[in-house]
Amino acid sequence: MTVSLSKELLDYAEALKDWSIKQCRPHAREVDRSHALPTDWREIMATAPLLPDSLPDGHWVTKLVTYEAIGYGDMWALYAMNNGIGQLVVKALGTPEQVKRWNDPVEQNGWVTGFALTEPGFGSDTSMVATTAVRDGDSWVINGAKIYCSYGAVADYVVVFATIDPALRGKGIRAFVVEKDNPGMVVTKANEHKLGIRGWPTTALAFDDCRIPVGNALGWSNGELPANLRGQAAALESLSVNRPNLSGAAIGIAQAAIDMTADILADRKSDFSAHRWSLISDELAAMNSTLDRGRRAALVAQRLLDRGQTDRVAAATAKAFAPENCERIVLRCMQLLGPEATSEELLLEKWYRDLKIFDIFEGSGEIQRLIVARSLVGKDA
Amino acid sequence: MTILDLSDEQRAVAELAREIGMEVLSDSARAAEARGAVPDTVWQTLFDSGLTMPVPEELGGSGIGDASTLLVALENLAHGDAGITLAAVSSGTAALLLARHGTGAHDDALKRLVTNPDARSAVALYEAHGRGGAEFATTIAVTDNGLVRLSGHKVAVPFADSAEAFVVVGVDATTAIPRAVVVPRKSSGVNVRPYGPTLALGAAAWGSADFDVTLPADSLLGTVEDSDTLLNSVSLLRLAVAAIAVGTAQRSIEYAAHYATERVAFGRPIATFQGVSFPLAEAQMRIDAARLECAELAAALDTSHTGSIDLVGKVSAAVAYATQVAVEATRTAVQTLGGHGYIVEHPVELWYRSATSLSTVDNDPSLSAYQPVL
Repeated sequence: MTVSLSKELLDYAEALKDWSIKQCRPHAREVDRSHALPTDWREIMATAPLLPDSLPDGHWVTKLVTYEAIGYGDMWALYAMNNGIGQLVVKALGTPEQVKRWNDPVEQNGWVTGFALTEPGFGSDTSMVATTAVRDGDSWVINGAKIYCSYGAVADYVVVFATIDPALRGKGIRAFVVEKDNPGMVVTKANEHKLGIRGWPTTALAFDDCRIPVGNALGWSNGELPANLRGQAAALESLSVNRPNLSGAAIGIAQAAIDMTADILADRKSDFSAHRWSLISDELAAMNSTLDRGRRAALVAQRLLDRGQTDRVAAATAKAFAPENCERIVLRCMQLLGPEATSEELLLEKWYRDLKIFDIFEGSGEIQRLIVARSLVGKDA
Repeated sequence: MTILDLSDEQRAVAELAREIGMEVLSDSARAAEARGAVPDTVWQTLFDSGLTMPVPEELGGSGIGDASTLLVALENLAHGDAGITLAAVSSGTAALLLARHGTGAHDDALKRLVTNPDARSAVALYEAHGRGGAEFATTIAVTDNGLVRLSGHKVAVPFADSAEAFVVVGVDATTAIPRAVVVPRKSSGVNVRPYGPTLALGAAAWGSADFDVTLPADSLLGTVEDSDTLLNSVSLLRLAVAAIAVGTAQRSIEYAAHYATERVAFGRPIATFQGVSFPLAEAQMRIDAARLECAELAAALDTSHTGSIDLVGKVSAAVAYATQVAVEATRTAVQTLGGHGYIVEHPVELWYRSATSLSTVDNDPSLSAYQPVL
């Protein structure tokens, strides 16, 4: 299956990329240094070209292309523009009333949502959720600690994964909506100090007898939580659909690095021997070919999604393929330019640090390989 | 230390260096990076140890005398921090060039470096543009009236903004024979551009330097006849970077391996998954290979009395391999820790950055090429 894109989408992507270069990239260093978005980020976002009304390419393909275009300028705009992924869980698990209450304001009013799954004691093995939710009359009482909760400190609500019965392991996990300022939800670190994506607020949260109404358990209807509601599966599902988009963002960053490096090298061509110049030209071409392979993998996954086929293996392939390749491309760009390229005068070193997250978060490269391996050999993998 | 057959003296150096690395450098790594300099007390400790001032007694110093032992010292110090180790040895290798190749005119400068812990010097060696550390466009010419003309551009010059003098390596303008010259930083015609904050190795305070300088004749180090021995000294400087990379890589793999034995997922320590332990094993194999390759070349430098240009190509290959191995090993370490590898509460992200920076210094695209991961 090959995926071609409409002219309208390609034009939009070009406009978005141009906007990202001109409006977002100039703030990239400031975001990295201050560990926060630019103070006027909302005004900056408001200048972004609007999505055309009717694009024939489908929601997920469009989203993927958007991610690459914005990532090209600098990825801070992606997380500024993004509202979080908590609402994806609401859509997957919530009753119609819950979707109306917690998803619609995201789409209509720009609510920001948090996603609290990872804990200090686990990451990849999501069945290890140790945060507990205990029923007490008309309330759930949540206790535990979460880390890497995107937007946790600023979200209008956080979707918290907690177990209602630790003995059930993965099957005991449910998702709960904890609204901003709910007593008992404590921000222990508003933004973790990270290697990269420093402006992306990832929050450490503590739940200390955090009491929420019974109806904040996603799927709550007729006074109970259906036994077959799988919170863990919903968590993984909501991660899966977004995985190819993340590859798109990584490809955008790596493409920007290649283009920037090629421009600088072109100015220095006379400093290189003819033999080395020829080798470098070949390397840059090989890097571009690598990115094209990554694009194809991501496009296929999102086109399938637009056709209504959720293919976790295609998503995993997309997510595993590009990020590590992109890391190596930016590394090689710095090596070709020499040690000066590791200084903050260029954005290459920032992009290199930002990029490292893509093979870790929302399913590490190891987990993606496991998913693909299981498609080949079954659960033995 | 794997496989290497160390002498008693080397073993003592390894132990001392590892101890200082783990107990002093490791704790100071973040502070050194933040201030772009080695903290004074740490510098004094290294200075007193003699580990990074490779000037033997017969040449007026009290430090390590041979290449093999210097690499052992640097690798073990780098278990603590690559940036501090690189900074410390940068002044040391400038002293080494003065001691080995200098004349009476350089005695005072050498004495100052080996006796005064506040003195800083650096070798300006690398030029980027794919030249690695073995090819120079920088020219050194002796003029008709006996003066020396130096012209060239250098990158990754340590202490760019604070060194008292640079030892600049280039080639004779007419014969292309390697030469070196001592240039006070404040000489007219020296233009230094410090990089400011960098991806890593901030303690070395790198910058670029342009030289368009006329110097007195006695600024020259060595003679035309001993250019081969100068090349040997340059090879040692280049291997020093490789040794620091190897030490950084080794520490990161040990740290990640320990983490993998304690971190539980899917019901057992993650070390029991081959997807986790095999990359660590492969990194260890490559590190061993890199260490042995560097050690063999260091031994060749130590026994080669006349100097040998044949070694240069092998050194280029060894440095390219070791630094790339270090990038991949430290990446594996970050990956092993996952999300914990991405936050500053663990040191692996620092090691990943350090190894990456080291890999940008001595690079020749005809020796190592881009390869896609998948």
